[in-house]
Amino acid sequence: MTRNTPVEGIDPVAEVEMPNLPGRARAIHPGLVMRVRGRFVRLRGLRRQPAGVLRWLAVLGPGLVAGAVSNDAGSIATYSQAGAKFGYDMLWIIVLITVSLAVVQEMSARLGAATGRGLLDLIRERFGIGWALLAVLVVMVANFGLVLGEFVGIGAGMELFGVSKYLAVPVAAGLVWYLVTGGNYNRVERIFMLMAATFLTYPVAALLSHPHLPDIARGAFVPTVRLDPAYMALLVGLIGTTISPYQQVFQQSAVVERGSARHHYGPERWDTYAGMVFSGLVSVFIIIATAATLHLSGKTDLNSAADAAKALQPVAGNAAGFLFGTGLVGASLMAAAILPISTAFSVAEAFGLPKGIGLSLRRAPVFFGLFTLLLVLGAGLSLIPGIPVFQFLVWVQMLNGVLLPVILVFMLLLINDRRLMGELINTRLYNVLGWATCVLIVVSVAFVLLQQTLGLMGVRFP
Amino acid sequence: MAMLSDLLRRKLIDERGREARLGDLAVDLSAGDYPPVTYLTWRLPGKTQLRAPWGAVRGVRSGGRVLRLDDLEGGEPVQEDWLAQAVLLKRDILDALVLDLRDRTALRANDLWLEEDDGGFSLCAVDASLGAVARRLSGGRIARNARRGLHDWKYTEFLRGDPQAARAGRDYHGLIGRLPAGEIANLADALPYLHAAELVTLLPDTKAADTLESMMAERQLQVFEELAPEQARRLLTLMRSDIVADLLGRLEPERARYWLEHMPRAQYDRVLRLLRYPEDTAGGIMTNDMVVLREDLTVGEALALLREQLKRPDFINFIQMVFVVDDEAGRRLRGVMSLRDLLVADDGRKLAEVMDPYIVTLAPLETASSAARRVIDNELTGLPVVGPEGKLLGVVTVDSALVLATAAGWGGREAPRLFS
Repeated sequence: MTRNTPVEGIDPVAEVEMPNLPGRARAIHPGLVMRVRGRFVRLRGLRRQPAGVLRWLAVLGPGLVAGAVSNDAGSIATYSQAGAKFGYDMLWIIVLITVSLAVVQEMSARLGAATGRGLLDLIRERFGIGWALLAVLVVMVANFGLVLGEFVGIGAGMELFGVSKYLAVPVAAGLVWYLVTGGNYNRVERIFMLMAATFLTYPVAALLSHPHLPDIARGAFVPTVRLDPAYMALLVGLIGTTISPYQQVFQQSAVVERGSARHHYGPERWDTYAGMVFSGLVSVFIIIATAATLHLSGKTDLNSAADAAKALQPVAGNAAGFLFGTGLVGASLMAAAILPISTAFSVAEAFGLPKGIGLSLRRAPVFFGLFTLLLVLGAGLSLIPGIPVFQFLVWVQMLNGVLLPVILVFMLLLINDRRLMGELINTRLYNVLGWATCVLIVVSVAFVLLQQTLGLMGVRFP
Repeated sequence: MAMLSDLLRRKLIDERGREARLGDLAVDLSAGDYPPVTYLTWRLPGKTQLRAPWGAVRGVRSGGRVLRLDDLEGGEPVQEDWLAQAVLLKRDILDALVLDLRDRTALRANDLWLEEDDGGFSLCAVDASLGAVARRLSGGRIARNARRGLHDWKYTEFLRGDPQAARAGRDYHGLIGRLPAGEIANLADALPYLHAAELVTLLPDTKAADTLESMMAERQLQVFEELAPEQARRLLTLMRSDIVADLLGRLEPERARYWLEHMPRAQYDRVLRLLRYPEDTAGGIMTNDMVVLREDLTVGEALALLREQLKRPDFINFIQMVFVVDDEAGRRLRGVMSLRDLLVADDGRKLAEVMDPYIVTLAPLETASSAARRVIDNELTGLPVVGPEGKLLGVVTVDSALVLATAAGWGGREAPRLFS
């Protein structure tokens, strides 16, 4: 504090002691020199396009994180299952799906940026209440399946540490409820993210397991279509886990929340693409790691988390179980917090009910009720004794695959509406890719449904 | 009384027994608090859309399932430009966002309540309840009558989600301008950004500028970029210089240059001086729209001068403190006094005699957080920022300090930010 006593003849202000300048202040923001009104001025914060590596990091950052953490319990299970059962044979599907995923996610981001509104909000206004209800039901069913899957994942992950799931799951549900409603979630999200980051050891595991490169290349670029039920079902599961309805809704809300305006949509696109390519790479590595270890050693049916964890043995040896468990619990906790809250948010958005963590239970009963219900039911049902954990996780992803086309059709209709999108309306290329994705998914889903139904009646198809 | 969902299920029947489904109802939003239904539209099989004034409807029974008209084929064909101009209840208002100005909330119009008088209908309330959703989905079998969640139309503002509509002079209730700017800004923060921009477009300039000042930073930027250039320019002139500097600092450099070149000279000078300092320093959070007076003025002269300055529309803002300097060119800070001290001092005395020469000052490159803490610790309405030679640069006001302090204090309470 500088308090100067005025003395006769001494300027009280001139001798003000300069407080210690922060060392970096003068140096940072070197400022932009710009010619304004005929003279050059040096300005501080005027945004400059960062150059070189920084530019890429800034653009890629958020997308990379999103891509890395989008692998929750169900995804890990599905990719592991694919690798264990069919070796490298399903890699080409991942390559195709990643392209579709990038297209679909980019459209979600664009819808969000152009309209500043959530997907269900737009469906409600464009197609009326009946269709909005359909979309809400789809999102609710798909997301509930995922929530259930996350708790199954938490249970399975904790059992690797020797903790009973009957203890771990209720505690986890309570913790998530407390963190989110108490507004403390953001503080711990980083811990969950760090835990989930252990899945980044999959690429290392894949390399250390000495995979056979020509086999990988063949698997990735030569399509091998098998029509047997197990393969087709897993295929739909892979689609469902990679492009899930939840992700479309979430991506759009995230873009809206980040507050990007339609005039600056450009860079977002690359962010999305980069994130999706990264997410595709992670899936590829998981499949390679499991294929090179489990599939080759003849272990083609995964029944528990302990089985799946073996894929990490090249990295962690006997600690593979711990590593896998940490990642599984972290990723599942993160998803178990975000999924119910974003579901409740979407439903409230579609029906125009009060929503938001900031409100009280009394002011937003439906919002909080739905959030709590999803958690309680999800945690409760996941404790049913004797469910085949890994099979179950894959089923949930299949359900997502089945429901996905509904959301995709809405998206494609909305994004071709010039009144909504203006300049950002879909181009022909995007329409072709989008509708092709949609049709292919519908065909494979229909095929699998038919196959499974006939299978139940004892008929083999084809 | 009738719900719109119920009306829309009614059949139109004419004298010759032809039938059609009611298509939509047009209302005149500008006609008072409860806009009357002016036209109804329908479509005969294989024909274009037709319309007739509501007066053409012969029998309307509240409980009945039909509306009678003379001749369904005799309606006027609906013109494109009429469709573009008209406000149609089903197309435009049902399912759209509506603001309740009493609750300060944004609602979704799940159903609309029309009141019947003299054979006409007028729009009276918005039903935002879950019951209305059930009513519409069940075809009117569940929750026939609205009981809760009704919002009086008199206190609502209907937005189209398109700033262009507001610029084109389409009909609005226009009540929104009666709310204080801070409340409008809170509403705008909660709305989709195109709605927020539409809202700001509707406001008179001074209120729009205040509203824009109070908005969250990202939302402010989004809304600003949607405004018509002419309005944007006027608002930049009216807004506080520090907020303008922050706003321009977040624009693309080319856009920022455009606005710097197109704002009035005085505002340009102030903004440019603020833009020199990095954002996270005292210089970056200070404002320089404040009262600066020469020390050799008498109190009477100072008051007269101040009065003149405050009458100018672009000289605004921080008037709680008066900063006394040696002369206008050098602007070396000699002392400060509160506006209250200036008002109660004897007219004949010089400012140098009545000012408080004990000054706590901030340096421009001090970190913003330490500057904010010092302002709050000193329990003053602001602290002057002074350059190396004692030159007065600006003032960090207690409001900017609080914004920083609360951002740090409340930051942790943000739930997943997406859904707060």
